[in-house]
Amino acid sequence: MGLTLSDILQRSKEGPIIEEKQFDMSIYKKTQELQKKYSIKYDPGNPLDKTGEIADQVYQAGRELFLDIGAYSATTRRAVKVTEKELDDAIAACPEVIELGQGSDKVKMAHRSVEGTEYPVVVAGIQTAPFSDESMMYTIYRLCAMDRSVDGLWGGILLKIDGKHEVIAGTPSEIYQYSKTISVLRRAIEAAGRPGMITISNAPTAPATIAMFDEQDGLRRSDYIESTGMSEMKVAYDDLSRSAYGLAQGIPIHGTHSSVIGGFSATPEGAAIVSVAASFQLVAVHRSVCFRCGAVDSRIKSRVTRGQLWVAGTAIQGLNRNTRLIVDGSIGDHPAAGPGTKQYLYESAAGHIVSTVMGAHSTEGTRKYVVGNTCNYGTPLESRWMGEVCKASVGMDRKQAEKIVKFLLEKYENNLKDAPAGDTFENLYDQRSLEPVPGYQKLYDEVKAELGNLGLKFRQ
Amino acid sequence: MDIKGIRTEDRALLDVLKSAIVALEEGEALGAAEKVVAAGIDAKLALRYAIAEAAAIVGAKFDCGEYFLPQLVISGDLMDAVSKILEKNIPQADVEKKKIIVIGTVQADVHSVGKNLVATMLKSGGFQVVDLGVDVASASFIEKAKDLNADMIALSSLLTTTMPYQREVIDDLASMGIRDRFKVLIGGGPVTEEYAGKIGADGYGRDAIDAVEVAKKLLAVE
Repeated sequence: MGLTLSDILQRSKEGPIIEEKQFDMSIYKKTQELQKKYSIKYDPGNPLDKTGEIADQVYQAGRELFLDIGAYSATTRRAVKVTEKELDDAIAACPEVIELGQGSDKVKMAHRSVEGTEYPVVVAGIQTAPFSDESMMYTIYRLCAMDRSVDGLWGGILLKIDGKHEVIAGTPSEIYQYSKTISVLRRAIEAAGRPGMITISNAPTAPATIAMFDEQDGLRRSDYIESTGMSEMKVAYDDLSRSAYGLAQGIPIHGTHSSVIGGFSATPEGAAIVSVAASFQLVAVHRSVCFRCGAVDSRIKSRVTRGQLWVAGTAIQGLNRNTRLIVDGSIGDHPAAGPGTKQYLYESAAGHIVSTVMGAHSTEGTRKYVVGNTCNYGTPLESRWMGEVCKASVGMDRKQAEKIVKFLLEKYENNLKDAPAGDTFENLYDQRSLEPVPGYQKLYDEVKAELGNLGLKFRQ
Repeated sequence: MDIKGIRTEDRALLDVLKSAIVALEEGEALGAAEKVVAAGIDAKLALRYAIAEAAAIVGAKFDCGEYFLPQLVISGDLMDAVSKILEKNIPQADVEKKKIIVIGTVQADVHSVGKNLVATMLKSGGFQVVDLGVDVASASFIEKAKDLNADMIALSSLLTTTMPYQREVIDDLASMGIRDRFKVLIGGGPVTEEYAGKIGADGYGRDAIDAVEVAKKLLAVE
């Protein structure tokens, strides 16, 4: 029997005590060494690794980093280390395919290869965002669910109970509200004629996330539970509580982690190495069977800067070339620009093209990077875009993908710090017909035609 | 900074010290600090010139992407070590006391990246920073701020459902009758200037660099 969650918990109690700052700095020192040892060099002129040579080096370096420093248990302030054999066993024990959803809405989420021809699983919806009221939440969810280009939907939250009482994380109000509002998502997918479709949601704390699971009205065993690794290469008991529930209940565990360009990873090269290392953390420590491999930039609130595309794309490619793991990318899920703008569509497309071509799925929804307290800050059209782009990118080679990505970068990369805010559902959709307002539909069609001319093979 | 009054060779020494800190050359910086002391250069002038200017250059390098968080950590530690050398001949009573900032991510929120950046930048900016980590309860912020007689409490929140904890700290301070003892600075992904005003915070930091500027303004630090 390989490494178990109990082994991990034991190590988090008995592993070497280490100051957090010392662990953080060890990430920096080791990644600096490794990028030299493996001659890893980021070239901004080539935002995609088109041969896989760098990706293979990043993979080896990430593996070495994880085996050397392990993960940091933020709860117990100890390093959790894993041997090479234990890591290999954990990787080998991961399934190559899992099933998500139910009945005719069930989909297979399988290991994908670089430039693979299998369709990725797409879980869209305005991820973890606030909605103004239950009726609006239901309407937006239902419209998103009706779109056949997506396989699943993310849930959000109503910030006030009965429109009056504030929802605060870590208090009973969080458990109450997340449990109550997840049923709205279930009703909406049923009304859309897709009762078995994947539904995902994630509350700030483990108790509230666990409380959302209910076969009748909430999340189901056929969905996944998310277990997040803290940036960078850290884990807290709250995350492992989610893993524990998933393991006990037979729910697939989906890990997520972001390396930080400008953080302790420092450079894009360092962030790519940490993205791979943290993926091993998600497999070995969090017990994930699928995971999101990505990066954030400490200075820019978008996930698709040139550097981030290279970091995530290279790490995903490295993992897919060297293992049979199920990798999620979702790089285009958090644009700087808001809904209803061309820039949102450009940013989203760049990330999802890289994600798909490098062999990843995209299951982390759609959302402007920062939504704050603005309610209904998204529409079903962004979900459609995510699904259409992911599926139109299937089978494309890295060279062609890079050509399109460069075109897109030119469109948005100088506008990331001052990105257009976009608009809310109320202003982007006709509230009677529940169709996009003509201006938004036109803008969508124009961008779609633009990318179609560049080689994206949209289904219709 | 204008230091026209000092001798050319003293200024050259201070420039060596400043450059060594910026280049993160520990041995060279500590050696230069000892030379500054041996040359009898006014320690307060040295601190204001070499350290403050080095901090500004390091901050600018971070802002333009040349330096990253680890370099900020290294330079912050180096500035501490250099300050100790420069201050050793100043009577304790004359050592300029750094303003103290207690910082952390609020309760039920474990996001640390932005908070770490702000904490490190504040340290580089010349503040004494006490980082309480993540998932910090209001009582812990207040207790630590009272214990240290801090000047400011800085609160980070990355989730809409943890933003109310920023307000809770301010409300608790008011309930305890000590609201005026501490400036309160807030920030984080979903937090806005408007929200800061609404809950009665003294300041809002849009990002790490902005947070340092706002803290300096609120605490009247040059």
